[in-house]
Amino acid sequence: MANTESLENVVLELRRGVIVLAALSQLTTEEYGYSLLKKLAELGLEVDQGTLYPLLRRLEAQGLLESVWKLEESRPRRYYVISAEGKKILPKMKKEWAGIVSVMDKMLA
Amino acid sequence: MNLIDRYVAEVGKHLLLIKGRKDIEKELRSTLEDMLEERAKEKGMPADESMQMELLEEYGAPQKVAETYNPYPYLIGPRIFPFFMTILKIVVAAVTLGLSIATFVEIVNLSPITTMDVLSAIGHGILNIISASIAAFGNLALVFALIERFAPAAEFKMDEDKVWHPAELMKEPEPNKVKIWEPIVAIVFTFIAISIFNFNPQLISLYYLDGNTWHTAPILSDAFFRWLPLMNVAWVVEIIRNGMLLRTGEETVSTRLTSIGVKLLNIFILAMLIAGPSVLALTTESLTAAGVTDPDALSALTIFADKGMDIVFGIAIFGTTVDIIKTLYKMFTQK
Repeated sequence: MANTESLENVVLELRRGVIVLAALSQLTTEEYGYSLLKKLAELGLEVDQGTLYPLLRRLEAQGLLESVWKLEESRPRRYYVISAEGKKILPKMKKEWAGIVSVMDKMLA
Repeated sequence: MNLIDRYVAEVGKHLLLIKGRKDIEKELRSTLEDMLEERAKEKGMPADESMQMELLEEYGAPQKVAETYNPYPYLIGPRIFPFFMTILKIVVAAVTLGLSIATFVEIVNLSPITTMDVLSAIGHGILNIISASIAAFGNLALVFALIERFAPAAEFKMDEDKVWHPAELMKEPEPNKVKIWEPIVAIVFTFIAISIFNFNPQLISLYYLDGNTWHTAPILSDAFFRWLPLMNVAWVVEIIRNGMLLRTGEETVSTRLTSIGVKLLNIFILAMLIAGPSVLALTTESLTAAGVTDPDALSALTIFADKGMDIVFGIAIFGTTVDIIKTLYKMFTQK
Protein backbone atom coordinates (compact mmCIF):
# COMPACT_ATOMS: atom_id res chain seq x y z
CA MET A 1 0.00 0.00 0.00
CA ALA A 2 2.75 2.43 1.04
CA ASN A 3 4.79 1.39 -2.03
CA THR A 4 1.88 2.10 -4.36
CA GLU A 5 1.43 5.52 -2.75
CA SER A 6 5.15 6.31 -3.07
CA LEU A 7 5.12 5.25 -6.71
CA GLU A 8 2.08 7.44 -7.39
CA ASN A 9 3.81 10.40 -5.77
CA VAL A 10 6.98 9.88 -7.79
CA VAL A 11 5.00 9.58 -11.04
CA LEU A 12 3.09 12.73 -10.11
CA GLU A 13 6.35 14.61 -9.51
CA LEU A 14 7.80 13.37 -12.81
CA ARG A 15 4.70 14.51 -14.68
CA ARG A 16 4.67 17.88 -12.96
CA GLY A 17 8.19 18.46 -14.15
CA VAL A 18 7.29 17.98 -17.81
CA ILE A 19 3.92 19.77 -17.93
CA VAL A 20 5.51 23.22 -18.31
CA LEU A 21 7.49 22.05 -21.35
CA ALA A 22 4.50 20.15 -22.73
CA ALA A 23 2.15 23.12 -22.38
CA LEU A 24 4.59 25.64 -23.86
CA SER A 25 5.35 23.34 -26.79
CA GLN A 26 1.62 23.01 -27.63
CA LEU A 27 0.81 26.70 -27.31
CA THR A 28 2.55 27.88 -30.46
CA THR A 29 -1.04 28.25 -31.67
CA GLU A 30 -3.86 29.66 -29.52
CA GLU A 31 -5.68 27.19 -27.28
CA TYR A 32 -8.12 27.64 -24.44
CA GLY A 33 -7.60 25.67 -21.26
CA TYR A 34 -9.95 22.80 -21.97
CA SER A 35 -8.84 22.39 -25.60
CA LEU A 36 -5.21 22.25 -24.44
CA LEU A 37 -6.15 19.67 -21.83
CA LYS A 38 -7.72 17.48 -24.53
CA LYS A 39 -4.84 18.04 -26.92
CA LEU A 40 -2.33 16.90 -24.30
CA ALA A 41 -4.51 13.88 -23.48
CA GLU A 42 -4.72 12.93 -27.17
CA LEU A 43 -0.94 13.08 -27.34
CA GLY A 44 -0.75 10.75 -24.33
CA LEU A 45 -0.23 13.17 -21.43
CA GLU A 46 -3.17 13.10 -19.05
CA VAL A 47 -3.11 16.26 -16.95
CA ASP A 48 -5.45 17.13 -14.13
CA GLN A 49 -7.43 20.39 -14.58
CA GLY A 50 -6.36 21.41 -11.09
CA THR A 51 -2.75 21.28 -12.26
CA LEU A 52 -3.08 22.77 -15.74
CA TYR A 53 -5.17 25.91 -15.11
CA PRO A 54 -3.08 27.30 -12.22
CA LEU A 55 0.04 26.45 -14.24
CA LEU A 56 -1.23 28.46 -17.22
CA ARG A 57 -1.85 31.43 -14.94
CA ARG A 58 1.62 31.11 -13.44
CA LEU A 59 3.30 30.92 -16.85
CA GLU A 60 1.37 34.01 -17.90
CA ALA A 61 2.46 35.84 -14.75
CA GLN A 62 6.05 34.88 -15.59
CA GLY A 63 5.63 36.40 -19.06
CA LEU A 64 6.00 33.08 -20.92
CA LEU A 65 2.38 33.05 -22.10
CA GLU A 66 -0.15 35.64 -23.19
CA SER A 67 -3.89 35.31 -22.93
CA VAL A 68 -6.99 36.92 -24.36
CA TRP A 69 -10.71 36.43 -23.71
CA LYS A 70 -12.83 35.60 -26.78
CA LEU A 71 -16.56 35.08 -27.06
CA GLU A 72 -17.35 31.83 -28.90
CA GLU A 73 -20.75 30.14 -29.20
CA SER A 74 -22.03 32.64 -26.60
CA ARG A 75 -19.37 31.35 -24.19
CA PRO A 76 -16.33 33.39 -23.10
CA ARG A 77 -13.09 31.46 -23.47
CA ARG A 78 -9.63 32.44 -22.40
CA TYR A 79 -7.12 31.67 -25.15
CA TYR A 80 -3.46 31.19 -24.32
CA VAL A 81 -0.51 31.46 -26.67
CA ILE A 82 3.25 31.42 -26.15
CA SER A 83 4.75 34.92 -25.77
CA ALA A 84 7.92 36.30 -27.37
CA GLU A 85 9.75 35.57 -24.11
CA GLY A 86 8.34 32.05 -24.10
CA LYS A 87 9.50 31.52 -27.69
CA LYS A 88 13.01 32.52 -26.64
CA ILE A 89 13.08 30.11 -23.74
CA LEU A 90 11.38 27.11 -25.40
CA PRO A 91 14.38 25.93 -27.51
CA LYS A 92 16.58 26.07 -24.41
CA MET A 93 14.05 24.00 -22.47
CA LYS A 94 13.86 21.47 -25.33
CA LYS A 95 17.66 21.19 -25.33
CA GLU A 96 17.68 20.71 -21.57
CA TRP A 97 15.00 18.04 -21.87
CA ALA A 98 16.95 16.20 -24.60
CA GLY A 99 19.98 16.24 -22.30
CA ILE A 100 17.98 14.81 -19.39
CA VAL A 101 16.47 12.07 -21.60
CA SER A 102 19.90 11.14 -22.94
CA VAL A 103 21.45 10.97 -19.46
CA MET A 104 18.53 8.98 -18.04
CA ASP A 105 18.53 6.59 -21.02
CA LYS A 106 22.19 5.85 -20.29
CA MET A 107 21.49 5.38 -16.59
CA LEU A 108 18.49 3.16 -17.07
CA ALA A 109 19.89 1.07 -19.93
CA MET B 1 -28.81 29.63 -10.42
CA ASN B 2 -27.79 26.16 -11.65
CA LEU B 3 -25.35 23.77 -9.97
CA ILE B 4 -22.38 25.02 -11.97
CA ASP B 5 -23.05 28.60 -10.90
CA ARG B 6 -23.29 27.50 -7.27
CA TYR B 7 -20.10 25.47 -7.59
CA VAL B 8 -18.18 28.40 -9.15
CA ALA B 9 -19.45 30.74 -6.43
CA GLU B 10 -18.34 28.21 -3.80
CA VAL B 11 -14.82 28.03 -5.31
CA GLY B 12 -14.78 31.84 -5.43
CA LYS B 13 -15.43 32.02 -1.69
CA HIS B 14 -12.08 30.33 -1.12
CA LEU B 15 -10.26 32.63 -3.55
CA LEU B 16 -10.86 35.90 -1.72
CA LEU B 17 -7.16 36.66 -1.27
CA ILE B 18 -6.11 35.48 -4.72
CA LYS B 19 -5.40 38.00 -7.48
CA GLY B 20 -7.67 37.68 -10.53
CA ARG B 21 -10.48 35.86 -8.70
CA LYS B 22 -13.14 36.97 -11.21
CA ASP B 23 -11.00 35.73 -14.09
CA ILE B 24 -10.53 32.34 -12.41
CA GLU B 25 -14.27 32.02 -11.82
CA LYS B 26 -15.06 32.98 -15.42
CA GLU B 27 -12.55 30.46 -16.79
CA LEU B 28 -13.78 27.73 -14.44
CA ARG B 29 -17.40 28.26 -15.50
CA SER B 30 -16.44 28.20 -19.17
CA THR B 31 -14.44 24.95 -18.70
CA LEU B 32 -17.24 23.24 -16.77
CA GLU B 33 -19.77 24.22 -19.46
CA ASP B 34 -17.44 22.84 -22.16
CA MET B 35 -17.04 19.59 -20.26
CA LEU B 36 -20.77 19.28 -19.64
CA GLU B 37 -21.57 19.92 -23.29
CA GLU B 38 -19.11 17.25 -24.34
CA ARG B 39 -20.62 14.71 -21.93
CA ALA B 40 -24.12 15.48 -23.20
CA LYS B 41 -22.92 14.92 -26.77
CA GLU B 42 -21.26 11.62 -25.83
CA LYS B 43 -24.42 10.37 -24.12
CA GLY B 44 -26.65 11.74 -26.87
CA MET B 45 -28.99 13.51 -24.47
CA PRO B 46 -29.35 17.06 -23.15
CA ALA B 47 -27.36 17.96 -20.05
CA ASP B 48 -29.38 17.53 -16.88
CA GLU B 49 -28.81 17.95 -13.18
CA SER B 50 -27.51 14.40 -12.61
CA MET B 51 -24.93 14.96 -15.35
CA GLN B 52 -23.88 18.21 -13.68
CA MET B 53 -23.58 16.43 -10.34
CA GLU B 54 -21.43 13.69 -11.84
CA LEU B 55 -19.16 16.27 -13.49
CA LEU B 56 -18.77 18.41 -10.34
CA GLU B 57 -18.06 15.36 -8.21
CA GLU B 58 -15.24 14.43 -10.57
CA TYR B 59 -13.93 17.99 -10.69
CA GLY B 60 -13.48 17.92 -6.92
CA ALA B 61 -14.38 19.74 -3.74
CA PRO B 62 -14.52 23.55 -4.24
CA GLN B 63 -11.98 24.15 -1.49
CA LYS B 64 -9.48 21.74 -3.07
CA VAL B 65 -9.96 23.37 -6.48
CA ALA B 66 -9.39 26.82 -4.95
CA GLU B 67 -6.24 25.60 -3.18
CA THR B 68 -4.61 24.74 -6.52
CA TYR B 69 -4.67 28.45 -7.41
CA ASN B 70 -2.71 29.38 -4.33
CA PRO B 71 0.89 28.26 -4.90
CA TYR B 72 2.11 29.77 -1.60
CA PRO B 73 -0.50 29.00 1.04
CA TYR B 74 1.59 30.54 3.80
CA LEU B 75 0.97 33.27 6.30
CA ILE B 76 4.70 34.08 6.05
CA GLY B 77 6.25 32.30 3.08
CA PRO B 78 9.76 30.92 2.56
CA ARG B 79 10.70 34.11 0.65
CA ILE B 80 10.64 36.26 3.80
CA PHE B 81 10.65 33.69 6.59
CA PRO B 82 14.43 33.91 7.26
CA PHE B 83 14.07 37.70 7.41
CA PHE B 84 11.18 37.33 9.85
CA MET B 85 13.25 35.02 12.07
CA THR B 86 16.23 37.43 12.07
CA ILE B 87 14.06 40.35 13.13
CA LEU B 88 12.20 38.25 15.70
CA LYS B 89 15.46 37.16 17.37
CA ILE B 90 16.74 40.75 17.53
CA VAL B 91 13.43 42.02 18.83
CA VAL B 92 13.05 39.37 21.54
CA ALA B 93 16.67 39.96 22.61
CA ALA B 94 16.07 43.74 22.74
CA VAL B 95 12.81 43.32 24.67
CA THR B 96 14.50 41.00 27.16
CA LEU B 97 17.44 43.39 27.57
CA GLY B 98 15.25 46.50 27.91
CA LEU B 99 12.86 44.96 30.41
CA SER B 100 15.69 43.32 32.38
CA ILE B 101 17.29 46.78 32.77
CA ALA B 102 13.88 48.15 33.79
CA THR B 103 13.47 45.41 36.41
CA PHE B 104 16.99 46.05 37.70
CA VAL B 105 16.28 49.78 38.07
CA GLU B 106 13.02 48.94 39.85
CA ILE B 107 14.86 46.67 42.30
CA VAL B 108 17.58 49.28 42.95
CA ASN B 109 14.88 51.85 43.70
CA LEU B 110 13.16 49.58 46.24
CA SER B 111 13.22 51.13 49.66
CA PRO B 112 13.44 49.36 52.00
CA ILE B 113 14.71 46.33 50.06
CA THR B 114 13.04 43.12 51.24
CA THR B 115 13.46 39.63 49.79
CA MET B 116 9.76 39.43 48.99
CA ASP B 117 9.80 42.76 47.13
CA VAL B 118 12.87 41.69 45.13
CA LEU B 119 11.27 38.34 44.23
CA SER B 120 8.02 40.09 43.35
CA ALA B 121 9.90 42.59 41.11
CA ILE B 122 11.77 39.73 39.39
CA GLY B 123 8.54 37.78 38.88
CA HIS B 124 6.84 40.88 37.52
CA GLY B 125 9.84 41.50 35.22
CA ILE B 126 9.73 37.92 33.86
CA LEU B 127 5.99 38.18 33.19
CA ASN B 128 6.58 41.52 31.45
CA ILE B 129 9.29 39.96 29.25
CA ILE B 130 7.03 37.03 28.31
CA SER B 131 3.99 39.21 27.53
CA ALA B 132 6.10 41.78 25.62
CA SER B 133 7.78 38.99 23.60
CA ILE B 134 4.41 37.45 22.74
CA ALA B 135 3.06 40.89 21.75
CA ALA B 136 6.19 41.53 19.65
CA PHE B 137 5.79 38.13 17.97
CA GLY B 138 2.13 38.85 17.19
CA ASN B 139 2.81 42.32 15.80
CA LEU B 140 5.74 41.14 13.69
CA ALA B 141 3.75 38.17 12.36
CA LEU B 142 0.93 40.56 11.38
CA VAL B 143 3.28 42.98 9.61
CA PHE B 144 5.11 40.16 7.80
CA ALA B 145 1.81 38.54 6.78
CA LEU B 146 0.88 41.88 5.17
CA ILE B 147 4.30 42.08 3.47
CA GLU B 148 3.78 38.51 2.19
CA ARG B 149 0.47 39.51 0.61
CA PHE B 150 1.20 42.97 -0.74
CA ALA B 151 4.94 43.66 -1.09
CA PRO B 152 6.40 43.50 -4.59
CA ALA B 153 8.42 40.31 -5.02
CA ALA B 154 11.29 42.18 -6.70
CA GLU B 155 12.08 44.00 -3.47
CA PHE B 156 12.46 40.79 -1.52
CA LYS B 157 14.94 38.57 -3.27
CA MET B 158 16.02 37.29 0.08
CA ASP B 159 16.57 33.65 -0.58
CA GLU B 160 19.03 34.26 -3.38
CA ASP B 161 22.60 33.83 -2.29
CA LYS B 162 24.80 36.49 -3.80
CA VAL B 163 27.92 35.24 -5.53
CA TRP B 164 30.92 36.94 -4.03
CA HIS B 165 34.19 37.60 -5.85
CA PRO B 166 37.42 39.10 -4.45
CA ALA B 167 37.25 41.73 -7.23
CA GLU B 168 34.46 43.34 -5.22
CA LEU B 169 37.11 44.50 -2.77
CA MET B 170 38.56 46.75 -5.46
CA LYS B 171 35.29 48.57 -6.05
CA GLU B 172 34.72 52.09 -4.76
CA PRO B 173 32.35 52.24 -1.75
CA GLU B 174 28.74 52.20 -2.92
CA PRO B 175 26.59 55.12 -1.72
CA ASN B 176 23.54 52.89 -1.17
CA LYS B 177 25.37 50.43 1.09
CA VAL B 178 24.60 50.49 4.78
CA LYS B 179 26.91 49.34 7.54
CA ILE B 180 25.57 46.16 9.15
CA TRP B 181 25.69 47.53 12.71
CA GLU B 182 23.56 50.59 11.91
CA PRO B 183 20.23 48.76 11.43
CA ILE B 184 21.00 46.42 14.36
CA VAL B 185 21.61 49.34 16.72
CA ALA B 186 18.49 51.10 15.39
CA ILE B 187 16.34 47.98 15.94
CA VAL B 188 17.68 47.39 19.46
CA PHE B 189 17.18 50.98 20.58
CA THR B 190 13.76 51.27 18.97
CA PHE B 191 12.66 48.18 20.86
CA ILE B 192 14.08 49.47 24.09
CA ALA B 193 12.05 52.66 23.49
CA ILE B 194 8.91 50.61 22.73
CA SER B 195 9.45 48.50 25.88
CA ILE B 196 10.02 51.50 28.14
CA PHE B 197 7.29 53.81 26.83
CA ASN B 198 4.68 51.05 26.58
CA PHE B 199 5.47 48.71 29.45
CA ASN B 200 7.51 50.73 31.95
CA PRO B 201 6.63 54.43 31.51
CA GLN B 202 7.22 54.94 35.26
CA LEU B 203 10.98 54.70 34.54
CA ILE B 204 10.85 58.11 32.87
CA SER B 205 10.51 59.88 36.18
CA LEU B 206 12.20 62.41 38.38
CA TYR B 207 13.89 60.42 41.19
CA TYR B 208 14.47 62.06 44.56
CA LEU B 209 15.46 60.94 48.03
CA ASP B 210 13.33 61.99 50.95
CA GLY B 211 15.16 60.94 54.09
CA ASN B 212 15.84 57.26 53.43
CA THR B 213 13.06 56.79 50.88
CA TRP B 214 13.28 57.22 47.12
CA HIS B 215 10.35 58.97 45.49
CA THR B 216 9.48 59.45 41.84
CA ALA B 217 7.48 62.04 39.95
CA PRO B 218 6.50 61.36 36.30
CA ILE B 219 8.25 63.58 33.76
CA LEU B 220 5.90 63.01 30.80
CA SER B 221 2.26 64.07 30.83
CA ASP B 222 -0.85 62.43 29.34
CA ALA B 223 -0.52 64.84 26.40
CA PHE B 224 2.57 62.82 25.39
CA PHE B 225 1.09 59.36 25.98
CA ARG B 226 -2.05 60.22 23.95
CA TRP B 227 0.15 59.98 20.83
CA LEU B 228 1.93 56.78 21.89
CA PRO B 229 -0.13 54.45 19.61
CA LEU B 230 0.92 56.49 16.56
CA MET B 231 4.52 56.57 17.79
CA ASN B 232 4.35 52.76 18.07
CA VAL B 233 3.27 52.54 14.43
CA ALA B 234 6.25 54.69 13.40
CA TRP B 235 8.61 52.59 15.53
CA VAL B 236 7.34 49.24 14.23
CA VAL B 237 7.60 50.42 10.61
CA GLU B 238 11.11 51.71 11.36
CA ILE B 239 12.06 48.28 12.75
CA ILE B 240 10.79 46.59 9.60
CA ARG B 241 12.72 49.08 7.45
CA ASN B 242 15.92 48.40 9.39
CA GLY B 243 15.25 44.68 9.05
CA MET B 244 15.05 45.13 5.27
CA LEU B 245 18.36 47.05 5.36
CA LEU B 246 19.90 44.28 7.43
CA ARG B 247 18.86 41.71 4.87
CA THR B 248 19.67 43.55 1.65
CA GLY B 249 22.64 45.52 2.98
CA GLU B 250 21.67 48.58 0.95
CA GLU B 251 19.06 51.28 0.61
CA THR B 252 16.40 50.61 -2.03
CA VAL B 253 13.52 52.69 -3.34
CA SER B 254 11.23 50.85 -0.87
CA THR B 255 13.41 51.51 2.19
CA ARG B 256 13.78 55.19 1.25
CA LEU B 257 10.06 55.64 0.62
CA THR B 258 9.33 53.90 3.94
CA SER B 259 11.81 56.21 5.64
CA ILE B 260 10.08 59.26 4.15
CA GLY B 261 6.69 57.90 5.28
CA VAL B 262 7.93 57.40 8.86
CA LYS B 263 9.48 60.88 8.91
CA LEU B 264 6.23 62.47 7.69
CA LEU B 265 4.40 60.61 10.44
CA ASN B 266 6.96 61.87 12.97
CA ILE B 267 6.45 65.45 11.76
CA PHE B 268 2.69 65.03 12.21
CA ILE B 269 3.16 63.68 15.76
CA LEU B 270 5.57 66.50 16.65
CA ALA B 271 3.15 69.11 15.26
CA MET B 272 0.34 67.58 17.35
CA LEU B 273 2.55 67.66 20.44
CA ILE B 274 3.27 71.36 19.83
CA ALA B 275 -0.43 72.11 19.28
CA GLY B 276 -1.54 70.24 22.42
CA PRO B 277 -0.83 70.85 26.10
CA SER B 278 2.71 70.49 27.49
CA VAL B 279 4.20 67.00 27.25
CA LEU B 280 6.14 67.55 30.48
CA ALA B 281 4.39 66.91 33.77
CA LEU B 282 6.88 69.07 35.71
CA THR B 283 5.00 71.18 38.24
CA THR B 284 6.25 73.50 40.97
CA GLU B 285 5.27 70.84 43.54
CA SER B 286 7.12 67.95 41.91
CA LEU B 287 10.21 70.09 41.32
CA THR B 288 10.20 71.39 44.91
CA ALA B 289 9.84 67.86 46.22
CA ALA B 290 12.77 66.83 44.03
CA GLY B 291 14.92 69.43 45.75
CA VAL B 292 14.64 72.38 43.35
CA THR B 293 13.98 75.15 45.82
CA ASP B 294 15.56 78.16 44.10
CA PRO B 295 12.60 80.29 42.84
CA ASP B 296 14.48 81.36 39.69
CA ALA B 297 15.33 77.74 38.82
CA LEU B 298 11.73 76.68 39.51
CA SER B 299 10.38 79.43 37.29
CA ALA B 300 12.86 78.62 34.48
CA LEU B 301 12.03 74.89 34.60
CA THR B 302 8.26 75.38 34.61
CA ILE B 303 8.54 77.84 31.70
CA PHE B 304 10.67 75.27 29.88
CA ALA B 305 8.03 72.63 30.59
CA ASP B 306 5.40 74.93 29.17
CA LYS B 307 7.10 76.49 26.13
CA GLY B 308 10.63 75.09 25.83
CA MET B 309 9.57 71.71 24.54
CA ASP B 310 7.64 73.38 21.70
CA ILE B 311 10.92 74.95 20.55
CA VAL B 312 12.66 71.56 20.82
CA PHE B 313 9.88 69.91 18.77
CA GLY B 314 10.02 72.78 16.25
CA ILE B 315 13.75 72.18 15.78
CA ALA B 316 13.05 68.44 15.43
CA ILE B 317 10.47 69.15 12.69
CA PHE B 318 13.02 71.30 10.87
CA GLY B 319 15.67 68.56 11.19
CA THR B 320 13.26 65.86 9.99
CA THR B 321 12.23 67.98 7.00
CA VAL B 322 15.90 68.42 6.05
CA ASP B 323 16.29 64.62 6.38
CA ILE B 324 13.35 64.06 4.02
CA ILE B 325 14.88 66.41 1.44
CA LYS B 326 18.24 64.60 1.76
CA THR B 327 16.53 61.20 1.32
CA LEU B 328 14.65 62.46 -1.75
CA TYR B 329 17.89 63.85 -3.19
CA LYS B 330 19.60 60.49 -2.67
CA MET B 331 16.67 58.67 -4.25
CA PHE B 332 16.98 60.65 -7.43
CA THR B 333 20.78 60.82 -7.64
CA GLN B 334 21.90 57.37 -6.44
CA LYS B 335 20.42 54.62 -8.55
